[in-house]
Amino acid sequence: MKRHNQVPALFVTVVILLASVASLAQQTLDRTKVPPPGPSPALRVPDWTKTQLSNGATLIVSERHNLPLISFTITFVGGSNQFESESKHGVAAMTSSMLTEGTATKTGDQLSDALQLLGTNVSAGVGTEEGSIGFVSTSKNFEPTLALLGDMMLNSTFPADALERLRGRTLVNLTQAKDQPNVIGAQVFARVLYGAAHPYGQRPTEASIKAITRDDVVAFSKAYFQPGRAIITVVGDTTTARAKSSIEKGLAGWSKAGDKPSFNYPKVPELQPAKIYLVDKPGSAQSVVTIGLPGPPRNTPDYFALQVLNTILGGQFQSRLNANIREQKGYSYGVNSVFSFGKGPGPFRAGGAIFSAKTDAALIEFMKELKGIEGDRPITDEELKTAKDNLIQGLPARFASVSAVSSSITTLAVQGLPDDYYQNYAKNVSAITKDDLLRVAKQYIDLAHLAIVIVGDRSAIEAALKATNIAPITILDIEGNPVAAGGTGATNR
Amino acid sequence: MTKNRSVLSVFALLLTIAVGQSVTAQKNGNSSAVKIPFEAYKLPNGLNVILSVDKTTPTVAVDVWYHVGSKNEMPGRTGFAHLFEHMMFTGSGHVPYGLHDKLTEGVGGNNNGSTTNDRTNYYENIPSNYLESTLWIEADRLGFLLDTLDIAKLNAQRDVVKNERRQSYDNQPYGRVGEIFYAAMYPKGHPYSWPVIGSMTDLSAASEEDVKAFFRQYYTPNNAYLAIVGDFDPAQAKAWITKYFGDLPAGKPVERPNIALAKLDASKRLVYEDRVQVPRLYIQWPSVGTKNADDVPLSVMSSILSGSRTARLTKALVYDSQMASNIFAFQNSNEDVGQFQLVVIPRPDHTLTEIEDAVDQVIKKFISEGPTDDELQRAKAGLELGFLRGLESNLGKANQLLDGAVFHADPGHFSIDYQKTLSVTAADVKRVAAQYLGGNRIVLSVVPKGKRDQASKSSESEAVSLLRTEAAGGGK
Repeated sequence: MKRHNQVPALFVTVVILLASVASLAQQTLDRTKVPPPGPSPALRVPDWTKTQLSNGATLIVSERHNLPLISFTITFVGGSNQFESESKHGVAAMTSSMLTEGTATKTGDQLSDALQLLGTNVSAGVGTEEGSIGFVSTSKNFEPTLALLGDMMLNSTFPADALERLRGRTLVNLTQAKDQPNVIGAQVFARVLYGAAHPYGQRPTEASIKAITRDDVVAFSKAYFQPGRAIITVVGDTTTARAKSSIEKGLAGWSKAGDKPSFNYPKVPELQPAKIYLVDKPGSAQSVVTIGLPGPPRNTPDYFALQVLNTILGGQFQSRLNANIREQKGYSYGVNSVFSFGKGPGPFRAGGAIFSAKTDAALIEFMKELKGIEGDRPITDEELKTAKDNLIQGLPARFASVSAVSSSITTLAVQGLPDDYYQNYAKNVSAITKDDLLRVAKQYIDLAHLAIVIVGDRSAIEAALKATNIAPITILDIEGNPVAAGGTGATNR
Repeated sequence: MTKNRSVLSVFALLLTIAVGQSVTAQKNGNSSAVKIPFEAYKLPNGLNVILSVDKTTPTVAVDVWYHVGSKNEMPGRTGFAHLFEHMMFTGSGHVPYGLHDKLTEGVGGNNNGSTTNDRTNYYENIPSNYLESTLWIEADRLGFLLDTLDIAKLNAQRDVVKNERRQSYDNQPYGRVGEIFYAAMYPKGHPYSWPVIGSMTDLSAASEEDVKAFFRQYYTPNNAYLAIVGDFDPAQAKAWITKYFGDLPAGKPVERPNIALAKLDASKRLVYEDRVQVPRLYIQWPSVGTKNADDVPLSVMSSILSGSRTARLTKALVYDSQMASNIFAFQNSNEDVGQFQLVVIPRPDHTLTEIEDAVDQVIKKFISEGPTDDELQRAKAGLELGFLRGLESNLGKANQLLDGAVFHADPGHFSIDYQKTLSVTAADVKRVAAQYLGGNRIVLSVVPKGKRDQASKSSESEAVSLLRTEAAGGGK
């Protein structure tokens, strides 16, 4: 910065001497011209090997030697929706938390210290349709970390006092969630779409958490962590041979059992005419808006068309929804939309957090954009091209780290997609036409049957919402149950 | 301004041509396993450039840091640095609004920015063949932002930022804790006494003229640091950098007054009623910033106190007595100042008073005995893995290099930090424990509305009343 003090003196001389040369040079830069891109880099999809272990697990290994890192993950096909009973929701999550609580030969403290000394952490979790246990370690610490993982998965003792401690923490978390408008919105939306009888409409409750016994946890662990439904993915600074022999040693005793569950979900409840479901949260600065309905599963033949459609509608910053409601109107910090593809009828949802005073105005814009994408405002060639480029040229980012590679490969095995999925991805996306988009928009975003869930300050927004005439209003409590007429629906604050 | 620019640019361009090949490049001399190969140089207009090639993935991160943050704001204009950050995405002289997104997310990449107390950054992750257009965009908003600025753009982003405040702070349980601590920890008018997001009143007050003045003062090549990390050809990148940035005029040097550390003459005890059901206990001690040698042992201390199951506070409160559902301790360091922070989420049936006493017992013991060698070893063991994982992302690497360049005048500072952490001794940790945790502090209880009696030592606690943030702005 000191150099700049000398600028004026030097400046005069230089300008006088060389001004003409400079102005010539200056003319060569035309800043109005957008620099064109260079040639597209070749897509480099990582290679991997896929073998079946004698215990029935699938082993996938992808070598990557740029850094001394290894990602190791065992993914289990099926989750709480397949392996929990309704009255014991939460046992899957509880069991995975308890894997850190001690084994036949190590206390929880000893496990924790051992992992900390290896510089890593084994994380386990069971979601609604799949679960996993895994870690990322330096390559030199891979075997000892794997041995600890094996011990946790196969020899955990599930101490009763640890269950009580975790139960207490889980109950505190459930209480805190009642203050989170986003969480309330997501839970009520699921309940409205799927009802209490469908697994997609259920979740752990205080009652189900209180009902979990140690026997339930032990039984879940035995039934769930089985090789017949497992995909072991190893990515990083190793080889198939080394990975295989490490696994044989680290997971010795993990014997053949189990298979992949079926994903037979009950029918979703009949669609209801469009309705606004208002959850009162007095004093809210914003309304959390969620609009949608049940959608198709991941294996729908319309997958690529829906991805392109959603990219245009609400899948990027310059999507129609965000460009309008955030950038032009300033009603929100950001809105988006997504198709939550799973094994079953995962929802389509659009929404975001909206300034309370603009809840009605924003809802009008949401509806306008949904109608627009169904033909009122035809998709342009430019929108189509940008959306396709966004998806196709975004592929390399899916292979940017050992854990990214791991999840990109594993998802193919979990969802039953072909091994050459990524090689054919560009072709499949490119094939989508504007007619395809119009068809899937009309088919999957049924405007007459949208559920509109709004968590916000009822006293500030109800009258204006009514005046939009978009749909009739029903008041729900934070559990998604109807509030008796005249009731406040307030959540005691 | 326009005239000024064209005049100065002649000079800058000439100087670039004159010294073109003689700019000094420094190579990273670190010899340990912890390496980011990089090359750094300065353009004649003062722009700091850092290049680091990594061909693992055919993508590139372009990351620009400006050494300006909320601490540079004037009282009455809090939140301005961040509001300004939003303005940088509204188009510039030769780049119409929307094109930036089209040339990033529209080609499979992404872009964003962020503001802290100390710096503002802007980045793009892009397929490697879009590097030139990205540099063109970054240069254009550094050189020509004001050409297309108008009040309509400012008002639109003002609304967006107010919604960001509502979403991330006002409508979040416990969301206003940060703001309470800034105000309680630092004297009125101290550059760290207000939150980065700012107040609604001040956001409403920001004018077009404020944007212009701020831009002229801080958005200059000599206050900017450009990093390119990923799959690219350095010679080609340098040529493009010269082409697009070389003739932008240098600005005045930014003055950096000495900023005093927080000093509490006495401890404070506060209670805030929030729309929550579970109370929380927060404790903060004034500590030091990232340039101070004690920052490193304070960070090590934080992972001895919480984080793992056998960490001191976690073991005592979450596992042994089970008074707490969770506990977090961390050293939060800014460029000039820092705070050692503690958050405790209680289990029902345990009061915040009980919890505060239990915390104090653990801390008192820790101050008197210091960490064991095992504790110290465990706290350092995760360092290598954490560092290696950071190297996997182009942007992560760029941020690492830029943090060093901006705050330590050395892009390779990460390796110094790494070595310093490895060499922290038990005596160092014991000393900082006594020095900082033994001093005055602020205890804040956040309690449900109407439940002030749930505060720790409620009779001694002073109530915090925050203005309703919408009082002065944000209406229809």
